[in-house]
Amino acid sequence: MRNISLIIKQFSRSVLLVAGLVVVGLTAHAQTDAAKGEAIFKAKCTACHKIDVRMTGPALGPQLTEETDDAYLTKWIQNNQALIAAKNPKAVKIYNEYNQAGMTVFAELTDADVGNVITYIRADWKKIQDDKAKAPAGGTVVAEDKGPSALVVWSLLGVIVIAFVVILVLNKVIATLERLLLNKKGIFEEEEVVVVEGEKAPVDKLAIVKKLLKNKKLVFFLVLCAVVGLGSFSWITMWNTNVHQGYQPVQPIKYSHQLHAGAMKIECQYCHSGAYKSKHASIPSLNVCMNCHKVVKTESPEIRKIYDALGYDPNTAKYDSTKSKPIQWVRIHNLPDLAYFNHSQHVTVGAIKCQTCHGQIQEMKEVYQYSPLTMKWCIQCHKRTEVNGKGNAYYDSILAAHDKIKKGEKVTAAVLGGIECAKCHY
Amino acid sequence: MDSNKKYWKGLEELNKTPEFVEKNKHEFAEPIPIEEVLSGGGLMGKTPRRDFLKALGFGVGAVTLAACQKVPVHKSIPYLIKPEEITLGVANYYTSTYDGSAILVKTREGRPIKVEGNPKDLLSKGGLSAQAQASVLELYDTSRVKDPQLNGTDSSWSEIDAFVKSKLAAVVASGKTISIVSSTVHSPSTQAVIAEFIAKYPTAKHVQYDAVSYTGIIKANQNSFGKAVLPHYNFDKADIIVSFAADFLGTWISGEEFTRQYVSNRNNKSLEEKKMSRHIQFESGMSLTGTNADVRIAIKPSEEGVALVNLYNAISGTTLPGSKKLTTVNADKAILLVAAELKAAKGKALVVAGSNDVAKQVLVNAINSLLGSYGTTIDLDNPSRQYAGNDGAIVDFITQAKAGTVGAALFLDANPAYDYHIATAVVDALKNVGLKVSFSDHTDETAALCNIIAPNHNYLESWGDDSSVEGYYTVMQPTINPVNNTRQAEHSLLVWADSATKDYYAFVRNNWNTSLLAKGGLSGQAGWETLLQTGFVLVAPVAAGSYTFNYDLNAVAQTILGQSAKLAEGGKVELQVYQNTAMRDGKKANNPWLQELPDPVSKVTWDNFVAMSPSDIKKMGLDEFEVVEISANGYTVTLPVLSQPGQAPGTVSVAVGYGRTAAGLVGNNVGKNAYPFLSFLNGTFQTNASATVKATGDIFPLSQTQTHHSFEGRNIIREATFTEYKKDARAGSGKEGEEEKMFDLWENTNEDTIHARPVYDWVMAIDLNACTGCGACVVACSAENNIPVVGKDEVGRRREMHWIRIDRYYSFEQNGEAKVDSRSGKVTQEKEIEKLADFSNVTVVHQPMLCQHCDHAPCETVCPVLATTHSSEGINMMAYNRCVGTRYCANNCPYKVRRFNWFNYWNDSRFDNYLNNVHTQLVLNPDVTTRFRGVMEKCSMCVQRIQAGKLQAKIEKRPLRDGEVKVACQQTCSANAIVFGNRNDPNSEVSKALKSERTYYVLEELNVKPGIGYQVKVRNTGTESLA
Repeated sequence: MRNISLIIKQFSRSVLLVAGLVVVGLTAHAQTDAAKGEAIFKAKCTACHKIDVRMTGPALGPQLTEETDDAYLTKWIQNNQALIAAKNPKAVKIYNEYNQAGMTVFAELTDADVGNVITYIRADWKKIQDDKAKAPAGGTVVAEDKGPSALVVWSLLGVIVIAFVVILVLNKVIATLERLLLNKKGIFEEEEVVVVEGEKAPVDKLAIVKKLLKNKKLVFFLVLCAVVGLGSFSWITMWNTNVHQGYQPVQPIKYSHQLHAGAMKIECQYCHSGAYKSKHASIPSLNVCMNCHKVVKTESPEIRKIYDALGYDPNTAKYDSTKSKPIQWVRIHNLPDLAYFNHSQHVTVGAIKCQTCHGQIQEMKEVYQYSPLTMKWCIQCHKRTEVNGKGNAYYDSILAAHDKIKKGEKVTAAVLGGIECAKCHY
Repeated sequence: MDSNKKYWKGLEELNKTPEFVEKNKHEFAEPIPIEEVLSGGGLMGKTPRRDFLKALGFGVGAVTLAACQKVPVHKSIPYLIKPEEITLGVANYYTSTYDGSAILVKTREGRPIKVEGNPKDLLSKGGLSAQAQASVLELYDTSRVKDPQLNGTDSSWSEIDAFVKSKLAAVVASGKTISIVSSTVHSPSTQAVIAEFIAKYPTAKHVQYDAVSYTGIIKANQNSFGKAVLPHYNFDKADIIVSFAADFLGTWISGEEFTRQYVSNRNNKSLEEKKMSRHIQFESGMSLTGTNADVRIAIKPSEEGVALVNLYNAISGTTLPGSKKLTTVNADKAILLVAAELKAAKGKALVVAGSNDVAKQVLVNAINSLLGSYGTTIDLDNPSRQYAGNDGAIVDFITQAKAGTVGAALFLDANPAYDYHIATAVVDALKNVGLKVSFSDHTDETAALCNIIAPNHNYLESWGDDSSVEGYYTVMQPTINPVNNTRQAEHSLLVWADSATKDYYAFVRNNWNTSLLAKGGLSGQAGWETLLQTGFVLVAPVAAGSYTFNYDLNAVAQTILGQSAKLAEGGKVELQVYQNTAMRDGKKANNPWLQELPDPVSKVTWDNFVAMSPSDIKKMGLDEFEVVEISANGYTVTLPVLSQPGQAPGTVSVAVGYGRTAAGLVGNNVGKNAYPFLSFLNGTFQTNASATVKATGDIFPLSQTQTHHSFEGRNIIREATFTEYKKDARAGSGKEGEEEKMFDLWENTNEDTIHARPVYDWVMAIDLNACTGCGACVVACSAENNIPVVGKDEVGRRREMHWIRIDRYYSFEQNGEAKVDSRSGKVTQEKEIEKLADFSNVTVVHQPMLCQHCDHAPCETVCPVLATTHSSEGINMMAYNRCVGTRYCANNCPYKVRRFNWFNYWNDSRFDNYLNNVHTQLVLNPDVTTRFRGVMEKCSMCVQRIQAGKLQAKIEKRPLRDGEVKVACQQTCSANAIVFGNRNDPNSEVSKALKSERTYYVLEELNVKPGIGYQVKVRNTGTESLA
C-alpha cells in the first residue's frame, strides 16, 4: 500500500518540479538582467545574506520589498560606509540594528550591476512567496497517506455490494422462472400469508426480510461474504501486526533530513558515524549539531531546543552541564531485540546505500519508516543481492570456495549463509 | 576398542540405586503429569469439556484484551556530548589488574561487562580463574553499601572525615595504638599510602593476615634460609611433582599460574615430544589437584607429617629421631618408591605441602634442598607477593584490642568477625576499641561491628596497581565512574593522614613516576600512557640462586611427630578444613555465579558439607545427605554428609567460605562457617583437628549436579597410561584396531551443497590431559552468554542452565589386568566391582561437555518447528524465538547438553538474588539475547564472537586469521585445554590438534559426527605401581 502512496507522491512531486522548472525557464528567458544579478548575488552576497532568512545580514527579500528607493539601495551597496558616515538616517538605523557590523564595500559594482542584483532578489523573493502559497496543496498529497487501508475496506465493501446485487437479480430471475414453471404445470401456488387489508403496509416490510431470511442460498452467501471479509481483514491485520512501515512520529525537534542531507548535501556519515563501524547507526550526540549550529541559525526556536538541552548560552557561548537534559527522540526503526543487525556489515562491507533501506531520506522533511523491517524483507534482499567481494581480500578464498560448488551461478548473500538462523539470531 | 574401565559419576550410579535408575530414565527430573490426568478419570469425567470451553473462552478473551494495546513508543536518547572513545555498539577494552594478574576489561557504552585475561600476563598468559571471571558481577551487586555510614546511618564524606580525624587525634593523644587490619596488600601504591598514614600517626601499625594463611611457608623459609618470603614455584621445570595436600592447581597460592606451568609438561605438545611430568599427590580429602594426579594416595592428616619424615629419611639416607612407619601399608611403600623417583630426578623435582605448619614446611624445605630444587623449581630470589599475612599479628591484635590498648582499628579487605577462628573474641575485642572503620563495600560481619563504614570502590572503579611477583607490576584503571557514593580506601587514608596528595590517582601517578615506570624503561606522560595500554611493567627476573638448608631438623621432626600423634587421637575422626575451588575463602560468597558453579570434585552447588569416605558412611550407618553434628576445637556445627570417593577413611573434610551471615542477599546463610575449626598453634593457624561426628537423623538434600545428564554407562572416556602412549600414540583412543566403516544417511555429503561447509567448519578440540576441571570456563560462558543463575532449589531439580559443564568421572584404580573380566574385557559385573571397590583409591577424569555441534545432529531432526538447524559453517544453530518448547531436542540429544528455560529468570521474584533487578541486568552482554521462559538453549559456539571476528576481517579487507576468534571458554582456560577454529584450514591450530593420534569423538559410534574432538587422557602411572 505504501508503494502506491509513494508512487502518487513521487508523481505529484515530479509534476511540480517540471512545472517549477518551466516557470523558472520562462522567467530566465524574459529577464536576462535577473540572471546576471543572480550570478553577482551568488558570488558576492551569499556569504552574509539569504533572500528569505536573516543571516549575518538581513533577509534581503523582505528588505528590498519594503525599501523601494533603488537609488539609496545602490548607494548603500556600493559604499555603505559613506552613507553611515554621512549620517543618512536609514543607513544609521540599519547599521545599529545589526550591531554596527559594517557591510563590505562593493565599489567595483556598477549601477547596472546593482540594479540587476536588486531585480534578481525581488524576482526570487516573489517566487519563494508564490511557492509558499502553493505548498499547502503539496501538503495535502502527503496527508492522504493513510488512505490505502481505507481503500482496501471500501473496495471490499464494494465487492460485497456488487455481489449482493448480483444475487438479488439472480434470485429474482430464479423466482420468476419457477413461477413460470409452476404456471405451466397448472399448479398455482397459494399465498401463505393471509393479508388483512388495513395493516398491509407495515407487515409487508417485515415479510420481505423474513422471506429473504428464508432464502437459504442468500443466507449462505451472506455468511460466506462475512467470513471472507472478516477473514481477509484479520489476515491482513495479523500480517501487519507490529509492522510499522510508514511510521512517522512527531519528533521533539523539527529536524529536516531534506534540508541537511538534501539541500545541504551533508554526508550521512557526518552525523551517523556509527553506521560505518558499528551495529548502531546511532543518533548523533548534540556536540555534532553544535559543530555547525554554534553559528548557523542561532535564532531558530528549533536550534534553541538544542541549546536548552545542552545548557548552552549562545550569548556567552558557555555550557552549563547542570541545566542539560537529553533530547528524547522517538525511535522510528525498531528492530526486535531478538534480531541482530549490524550497520557496518551492510554499509561498509556491502556498500549498500542508506537509501536502499531508509528510502529517499534526503527528501524527507520528517523521517518515516520506509521499509517494513520484516524478516521476509531481510531474506528477500539477502536472496537477491549479489555479494560484491571485489577488492576485499576477505572474500577471495570464500568466493573461490563457492565457485567450486556454484559453477558460475551468482553468489548472493544467501549463498554465503546469509539466510541461516544464527546469522541474525543469537 | 572399548575401554576396560568402568566410569561412574557418583556412588548412586555405581550402585544403581532405584532412585537413580528411575531418574535416569528421563531427560527432565519432573515429568509432565499427563499420565495422572489420563488415568485419574480426567478426560472421562463430565466437567472437563465444559471446563475446557470455559478456559478456552476466557483464554481467548484475555489474550485478545491483553493484545489490545498500543505499540509502545521507544525513545532513543543520544549522548549530549559523546565521549570520543565510545562508539555505540563497539566494545572498548581497558587493561587493569585483578589480584595481581593483568587483565582486560571489556566495556560497552561505558559499562564493564566482561573480564578477560591479558594474553601477555606473566602468571597465566591470558587465562583467568572463575573468581576473576565472576568479579564483574560484583560491580552490579545491589547489596553494596551506597553511602558512607556513621553509626549505622547514611552520612556524607565530609562528616566522616571530620569524625575520623578528630577521633584519630584523640587516639594519638591518649597514646593508644591505631591498627590497619588488612589481608595481604601487594599493591605498591597502597603500601605507600599505608606508610604515609603510619608516618602521620606513629602509633599506627599495619596488621596483615590472610583468612587462609601461608604464614607457615614464609616462616619456614625464614628459619631455613633466612628469607621470609613466599617462593615462586616453577612447576614447568619439574619432571616429578610430589604434593602433600597442596591444591596447587586450584586454591594454593597461584592456581592459574601453576595450572599453566603444570599443563605445559602434560599437554599435546609435550606428549608429542614423548615428555610428560609425573605427579604424585598425598592427601586426605579429594582436591582438584588430587583428581589430576597420576597417582593419588589417600592419607590421614596425621599421617602427613610421618610421611614427610619418612620421605626425608629415604632421600637423605639418615633417620630422624622418632621416625615410625605409616599405618597405611600402601602409603608406606609408596613413600619409599617416591623417594627413589625423586632422587633420580634431582634438580627437576619439586615437593610441595599445603600445610600451614612451620615445622612441616621446614621439613619440606629440607627435602627440596636435598633434591636441588632451589634455583630450579623453586625461586626464592623473585618471590611471590601474593600472600604475606602473619597469623600471629592478628592474634596479637585481638589480644591487644581486648586489653584496651588499641584506640582505632581500620579494616581494609579484612573480615575477622567472619574468618577469625574465634568470632566471639573479635566481637569482644572490638567492644574495647573506640574507633572502628571498615572499608568494606558490604555491611559484612566486621563492618556491622564498626562505627564507620567508608565503602571502598569496586576494583573496576578504582585506580591502583599491583605486584603479585617480584619485578612484575600491573596497573589498575577504572572502567566506569563510581556507581555508588563510595570512595577509594586509599583516598580515605590519604585524607585522614592529611597527605600532600589527597587524590589517589595523583598519588599513584607520583608513585609510578618516581619509582615504577623507570623499571620498565618508561617515563613521563608518554610512559604512563604506554603503561595503560600494555597493563604492566616486567623487570627481568634475577637469576634464581640455590640455597643451602640450614636448620636443626631433629626438633622439627619432634614437633611434627608430636602433632601427628595428637591428631590421631583414638576414637575420633580427623578433620581437614579446606578451600574449595569456587568459593575459596568466602570473600566472594555474595556472587551467584560462583555459588552456582559446581565444585569440581563434589559437584555440589550452593552449600558446603562434610565429605566422608563411603566406607565410613557405611560404617556409621548414615544416609546420603544425612545431617551430622561435627565438633572440634570446641565448636559444633551441623552439616549434611556427602560420600566422597577418594576421601581417606577416618577423615572428614569441610570447606571454608560458607556460612556467611552478612554477605548480602545471595551469600547469607549458605552452608555453615568452618573457620572456627581452625586453631592457633606454634605461631600459625592449623587446618587440621581431631573431631567427633554424630548422626542427627535429619536429611538436608544438597544440590549436586554429578548425576544430572547421565551417559548411562556408555563408553565416553578414553584413557591410556604414558607407557602405553609411548608404545602406540593411538593408545586408548579406540583407533588402535581396524577402522570401522561408517555409513552416511546423506549421499555424497562432501559434494552435496546442502551439507557442505565450503568456507568455515567451526570445530573444537579438547585435551582431556590438559583440562584440570577447574570450572573457570563455566563462569566465563555464563558471563559471555547471559546464562541465568537458577538457585539451589532449581539445581536440585536438574535445571541448571550452564551451557558447558565439566563431567567428573570416577573409576577404580586398576592394578594390571587381573581385575578385568577376561571374556568381555569389561568390568561391569557387580561382584567384580565389589572386589575393586577401594573407595579411597579412585582415579578421576574431567570432561568438559558442551553442545557437540554434530553434523548429523539428532536434535535437529526432531524439532517440529525447525527452531534448531545446521549452518553452512558447521554450527548447530538455535533460534530462540522460533522454539515452542516441545523439548524433543533435549530428549533426543545423546550428550545431554540442551537446557530449558523453566522461568523468566530476569523477571521473576523467585530469582531476586540474581538478575531480577535493572541494576544487575547492566552486566548482560548486549550482543546476546536473553531467553524467554519455555525456550530451549545451548552452546552457540559463541556465534556472536565468530560473527564479530568475521565482520572485523571484512572491514579490514583481509582473510580471517586463525586464532583471531576465541570462544569464551577457550579464552579463560589457563591450561589451553580448549582449541577452537576452522577445520577447513589445514594449518589451523584446531586442525593440527584434531589430527593428533589421541583424538577421539564422544559417542562416535552413533555416527552423529560431533564437531568436538577429545584427546585421550594420559596418566603417567609409572613403571611400578604405587597405589
